Amino acid sequence: MNEPQKRISDKALSVWRITGAMTSVMIMVMAGGVIWLSNVFSWPAWVVIAAVAAIILHVYLYVYLFPLLRWKRWRYEVREQEIELQQGVFVVRRTLVPMIRVQHVDTRQGPLLKKYGLATVDVSTAATVHEIPALPMEEAEELRQFISRLARVADEDV
Amino acid sequence: MSNSKRLHPIAAVTNFFKQLKELIVPFIAFFVFGTKASEGDLWFFMGSFAVVILVLGIGVLNWLRFSYRLEEGELRMEYGLLVRKKRYIPFDRIQSLDFSEGILHRPFGLVKVKVETAGPSGAADAEAVLTAISKEEANRIQDIIAQAKGKLVEDALDTEVERLEERAEEKVIYQISSKELLVLATTSGGVGVVLSAMVAFLSQLDDLIPYESAYREVERVVSNGIIIVSVLVFIGFLLAWVVALIGTMVKFAQFTVKKTEREIIISRGLLEKRQITIPLNRIQAVRISENILRQPFGLCSVYLISAGGSVRNTEGSKMLLLPAVKKAQVAHILQEHLPILATTQPFNKPPKRSLPRYLIRGALMVIPLVIAAIAIFKLWGLLSIMLFLFSSGWSFVIYKDAGWSIEGQQLNIQYRGFIKHTLFMKKNNVQSVSYKESFFQRRKNLATMTSLIKSGMGAIGGTIVDIEKEDAREIYHWYSHSQKAPF
Repeated sequence: MNEPQKRISDKALSVWRITGAMTSVMIMVMAGGVIWLSNVFSWPAWVVIAAVAAIILHVYLYVYLFPLLRWKRWRYEVREQEIELQQGVFVVRRTLVPMIRVQHVDTRQGPLLKKYGLATVDVSTAATVHEIPALPMEEAEELRQFISRLARVADEDV
Repeated sequence: MSNSKRLHPIAAVTNFFKQLKELIVPFIAFFVFGTKASEGDLWFFMGSFAVVILVLGIGVLNWLRFSYRLEEGELRMEYGLLVRKKRYIPFDRIQSLDFSEGILHRPFGLVKVKVETAGPSGAADAEAVLTAISKEEANRIQDIIAQAKGKLVEDALDTEVERLEERAEEKVIYQISSKELLVLATTSGGVGVVLSAMVAFLSQLDDLIPYESAYREVERVVSNGIIIVSVLVFIGFLLAWVVALIGTMVKFAQFTVKKTEREIIISRGLLEKRQITIPLNRIQAVRISENILRQPFGLCSVYLISAGGSVRNTEGSKMLLLPAVKKAQVAHILQEHLPILATTQPFNKPPKRSLPRYLIRGALMVIPLVIAAIAIFKLWGLLSIMLFLFSSGWSFVIYKDAGWSIEGQQLNIQYRGFIKHTLFMKKNNVQSVSYKESFFQRRKNLATMTSLIKSGMGAIGGTIVDIEKEDAREIYHWYSHSQKAPF
């Protein structure tokens, strides 16, 4: 299968792992609460086991597996006439956005992305917004300018 | 071009009623919950009287402060009670003018004019309203704007003959017949709305109707026989249905579709006349919808999906073009009047091997219900397994109705949720296309396609699930603008 060529930055992996870890911490707090309660009210042992299993599973999925799969799948390609995106974990989705439909392009950056020198590019058409997450900052900036230049050439109504 | 003008005084009255209508819900709430103590009654009535006077005053003041004028190629409006606002709309940004006549407008020969602009996407006020002006004035404005825009086009084309021809031509594409009107009204879903409104109304009147004694009365009637009760219920339903019927007929009477060189004009209504104009170049797609009541009769409704409309006003984005016509006649009526052809040539179907996936999807929706039923009703809950029969039947219908076809620059998609839709769209209007493939689909060589088009401020999409992988790729290729094959 002829996939889109470019990958997003491999630092994205770290960013996603950190955000995954943050949600994991919240799960840990909740699970910790359950364990404490089961200690107080002496619930059956399987409750504790389930809580611990939930923590382990969550960490495995959201810190290890999902970011990896997601990163491996994420591809994009910007051609003269169109932008092609590929994403997904279990469901592979490929999207075509023609240049003539692009209305504007934004880049944005949260604190975490900033720390890693990354930025997210949002490509907007009249009706939809398509996101390319975590590109190196210079590349995002270049891409933004490139797309807006091409989109201006292909000027048409709606 | 002209001096600043005021709206007709009726505008103040309509504003007043509009405000009053918005107040009616809090009023009723206040009325029902707030006045148990009788000594509050006087204050309550004085208070509400004051509020009504205040609303009337605001309506009049707003009317006094509103002025508009046409000058320097712009429609200029100034309004606002506390904050003075000026709004200048250049003629060439005006997409269309929609006229409507309410009951208050008609005795005075007035119209309400809604100005649709190609405002920035997402802006809540992509439109301006002149609440009440005389018909002549409205026509004059329309002419001035058309002329101004015509001049722009003329500059581009440099042909005067064309413009003259274009102004003269106005063709009636469709006019509703009384038979179609009757069919439309009888098959409309308005009955449910009327019924629920009746129930809501009755429950609001808790304090006024002596329900307790009424119930005693009812008990007596019930003991007299179940037949009388069922007759009463039946009469209730019949009444609701007749009300809905008349409502729909009044709303859609004289439904007419006209076409000029650049616009589609839809007008309808008996008491309140409405006229909606859609520029042809704003049309994004044509949709044929068949609901369960109409499908057995081979009837369908045709909608225009337009890029117009704003956040507040979603009406502008999906316009009813043909309310209820035989599906076989759609192509004949529309012919080549629209930029998009609504032909009903055979569609490509999903393969047989995707049927099990449709059935499983249907069953998955029902499983939680069945589990809940068994958990609550124990043995009797097992009866809910019958739901699987229903879901299978429905899934089969969904499977049967899914389809797609490509005709040159046009993609047609057919799908069903509750209503069966057929969406016709031009490649140029499709905003994006997605190809989706899950793990299980990959094993069976199936894929899902979604194509999105602009509708008002948002997007609507046609999705077909579990078609042949090769077919999905064909659609993807068709949409791709690059030479290089994407797959």
